[in-house]
Amino acid sequence: MVNRRNFIKVSVAASLSSALGGCGSAVRWERDAYRKQSRSRVAILEARSYQASLKDTIRRGINLFKLDVKGKRVLLKPNLVEFDPKGVINTHPAVIEAAIDSFKTLGAREVVVAEGPGHRRDNEYLLTASGIHDVINEHRISYVDLNTDDVRITKLRSSFTDLKQLYLPETLFNADLLVSMPKLKTHHWAGVTLSLKNMFGVVPGAVYGWPKNALHWAGIHESILDINSSLPIPQFAIVDGIVGMEGNGPLQGQAKQSGMLILGDDLVAVDATAARLMNIEPRKIRYLEKAGDFLGNLVYEKIDQIGERFDRFHQDFRVVEDFEYLKVLTGY
Amino acid sequence: MLSQRNKSSDTMKAAIDLLLGAQNEDGGWGSVRGKHSNTEATAFALMALKSIEKEKFNRQVTAGLNWLLKHQKTDGSWPLNHGSKQSSWTTPIAVLALLSFQDQVERALSAVRWLLEQEGRKPGWIASVLWRLSLVNKMPELDPYLSGWSWTPGAFSWVEPTSYALMAIKKLRPHLSGTTVEERIQQGEMLLYDRMCKNGGWNYGNSRVLGEPLWPYPDVTAVALIALQDRAGSRVNQLSLHALTNMMREAASGMALGWGILCLTLYGEDLGQLKKTLAKNFQQTRFLGETKPVALAVLAFGEGAKFFRV
Repeated sequence: MVNRRNFIKVSVAASLSSALGGCGSAVRWERDAYRKQSRSRVAILEARSYQASLKDTIRRGINLFKLDVKGKRVLLKPNLVEFDPKGVINTHPAVIEAAIDSFKTLGAREVVVAEGPGHRRDNEYLLTASGIHDVINEHRISYVDLNTDDVRITKLRSSFTDLKQLYLPETLFNADLLVSMPKLKTHHWAGVTLSLKNMFGVVPGAVYGWPKNALHWAGIHESILDINSSLPIPQFAIVDGIVGMEGNGPLQGQAKQSGMLILGDDLVAVDATAARLMNIEPRKIRYLEKAGDFLGNLVYEKIDQIGERFDRFHQDFRVVEDFEYLKVLTGY
Repeated sequence: MLSQRNKSSDTMKAAIDLLLGAQNEDGGWGSVRGKHSNTEATAFALMALKSIEKEKFNRQVTAGLNWLLKHQKTDGSWPLNHGSKQSSWTTPIAVLALLSFQDQVERALSAVRWLLEQEGRKPGWIASVLWRLSLVNKMPELDPYLSGWSWTPGAFSWVEPTSYALMAIKKLRPHLSGTTVEERIQQGEMLLYDRMCKNGGWNYGNSRVLGEPLWPYPDVTAVALIALQDRAGSRVNQLSLHALTNMMREAASGMALGWGILCLTLYGEDLGQLKKTLAKNFQQTRFLGETKPVALAVLAFGEGAKFFRV
């Protein structure tokens, strides 16, 4: 069956040869986009269910990175792309609540939940149906719809797309720390959707549409790189891997009990570790491979894994047929 | 009965107060109180206040209209907001707002002329060749050559911007001439029908992904049906109307209920308890204080459907 995915693949491939096809070793990022450290740390923390004491676990995880949030404005960016009562699409509200509690306890001046859902414009529905509205109300914190927020034009620090500039929400510029809180999922177009891909949600739908189609035309992998290289504030990641999604993600895959949270201050290292935990080779995912050149550490030997032992949580996540080649692990 | 009427009236008043309190000093509205004015929010809020037809809101209505007039670009279009100056998909919504005033037809016409020049992106020649080759003995899940309207210039056509564009063009159809108008309407309608979900209704614009059917959204379904209201009797419209009616049983948000009520009103359907549900849910969430759903609620409670009749 010819489907939209295949169609977009060929269209994008045709129109984007300049972005990756001929890039070879050409440097496509500016000096100030480079933030790769000599080594990175990633924490795998056991969390068997959403009823577990997640607040303690997340607070312990944040402390492992000596993250100083005292007096800071922290922006939590969950994945709320869509809602399906029978599915496991979104970051679970219990994880969001635990993060809110943890950052407040650690002295954050303000914690805000913000998202620009990729498919639906109906925030009220998404927030109430997913249970996030109750969490926000209970903790008396703000939710910002990044899709319709005021925007500021921002020069891109890398040129994997030919966009040159992006509109980003003002809320982003007014925060001190951006916490990407994705769900551990496979993705039928990108391979995996984790903390870097989750940043698609900071880009305003009012400018780029629902879905953010202008970025699809510019190239999904390329857009992920350009968005992440150009974020104006530091980032941290908390991946909801308590129940993940395998197969036809990000919407229609199957639940996968995984029992963990993955945390880190290097989003590339976090995503590389998360992919390996799903038995997916991160170096075969185009955007991760390129991100490993300048945004963070991708190579196994450069990542100090802390917390639980890797092999306790290593599982095989099914992928769609086209991505079977991602399953051959190399390099560690 | 009296108590129900009082409740609706109280809700209407509270929703209007919320809108009035969110109006910016420049006369426009942002997506929520405190945000900069943008075209979409201003157009919906303006229609909501205009639908009430009370003189006491004249000052606010005039200020809102002036914001829209001031921000119309010389090519007839509107930008999204103060930060994004490029012409945007919000243009047909501004047209609908202008058409709620009897003396703004010329301004609205200049916008629709701009709209008729816009077109969603189609596959380039390389992609076209590959697409056609891959179609041997296979059925496509969508037709990429149908031309509608996109969210942003240079991108694919999608359901919601195409629906808004069709509403605006159809409303001004008697003032427009030439075959282009009818061709664009026809293409836009074909695109909407092409993107319809299997059992009726629409989501953001894909009926299937990787062979798996996707589900419709109540708000987008209502918007598409409003754009297609002059084909109300067709089998496909009825299928989607049935889907919308089913979705309305579970609908709880201001966006879904507001658009749903407006759509069902235009199709002459029984609203049942929907206005009551709208009032009840407004009391609970205030629709997050978002300008658009609050404005939709005011339009749905009152006589707002007339602004969307084509």
